[in-house]
Amino acid sequence: MNLDLVLPLLVLLAVAGGLVGSLTGLGGAVVVIPALVLLFGVPIPVAIGTGFVTILATSSAAGAAYVRDHLSDLRIGMFLEIATVPGALVGATATVLLTHASLQDGLLVALGIVLLLVVPGAVARRHEELPGPVHPDARSRAFGLSGSYQDQVLGREVPYQAENTTPALGVMFGAGVVSGLFGIGAGVFKVLALERYLRVPMKVATATSNFMIGVTAAAGGGILFVAGFINPLIAAPVALGTAAGAWGGSRLLPMLRNRTVRLVFIPFIVILAVETILRGLGLP
Amino acid sequence: MTDLPPTRLPDEEYRWMSWVLRGGLLASLTLMSAALVAYALTHPGLSLADALATNPILQFLGLSGLAGGLARGDPAAYLTLGVIALVATPILRVATGFYYFRRGHERGMEAITLTVLVLLFVGLLVLGPIVR
Repeated sequence: MNLDLVLPLLVLLAVAGGLVGSLTGLGGAVVVIPALVLLFGVPIPVAIGTGFVTILATSSAAGAAYVRDHLSDLRIGMFLEIATVPGALVGATATVLLTHASLQDGLLVALGIVLLLVVPGAVARRHEELPGPVHPDARSRAFGLSGSYQDQVLGREVPYQAENTTPALGVMFGAGVVSGLFGIGAGVFKVLALERYLRVPMKVATATSNFMIGVTAAAGGGILFVAGFINPLIAAPVALGTAAGAWGGSRLLPMLRNRTVRLVFIPFIVILAVETILRGLGLP
Repeated sequence: MTDLPPTRLPDEEYRWMSWVLRGGLLASLTLMSAALVAYALTHPGLSLADALATNPILQFLGLSGLAGGLARGDPAAYLTLGVIALVATPILRVATGFYYFRRGHERGMEAITLTVLVLLFVGLLVLGPIVR
């Protein structure tokens, strides 16, 4: 296929990825990577490299808006990066080393199963607009992990605070490894850690995940860039489309209810899980 | 619901972080858009398979190769620079966070952001070249 025809298609694909990524906090690579492999025949290592570019563009475009609107929690996001960045370095290094081995398939299946395990908890909280009583732990108090945001739908300032920082840091390290390994934002795990363990409201979780995934992607994507796994002829149109889609998503999110965001989030976890397992099993 | 008062970071920190993200993204997208058009014009009829087979970034991974490509006006070198700007944007954002936590005398958060910065550079400058 001629590149002149492919470029606009890549931009359109990336617009969809950026929109979904910024609305759900997932990063958009979930949409872009399988589409590049299945529709355009892009080799998986290059698709993973492009996935990092998608995440970087989503995080910068949506993150800029969420930070400006004080929806991202800067302190909680940067606190958790101490776990995601080492994870991403481990994952991305493993990706390069495993490229010529067959171990990645088994890891993909394992990832899919872990993703499916997230679903019941998210479904159980599907009607929850705001978290219930929260009991901050010592680390949460020491680092001042609390904040508030102006909820446009509820029409009031919503205060929140964080608890369970130890399991949250553990999940965040795992999220970093997954992100580095597969070139996805691993926002599923980041939103899970923020919402389920730290107990911050869904919109803050989504916006903070968007804020964080860029740094995780810089850690993993930097290694793949230096290793030559990023092809700018594919990455550039994807970055352009993703930024446009993510900007659109960031305009939509403040107008949605937390429950609506979660309803968008759950099907994407299921789709991602099934898609990952199928890819790991070598099925299209 | 809360017994811990909401922690307020200065508005200036939010504003600067937002500008860092926006500025980095705009610089990256501008470079990539212009370079992509120039590349398409200078390589008419290039197929997707050709583009995948001849990843133009490989010759610009070293500093001297990139500098030479930029000086020659090679569109692929500018594409590479666009990708570098995109990767550098969140790193600059972490550096901004470090600056504000240091200014606010928040030793714990200052140590965390500094560690994250060091890890990011270790990945780029040590791990990447080792596993390449």
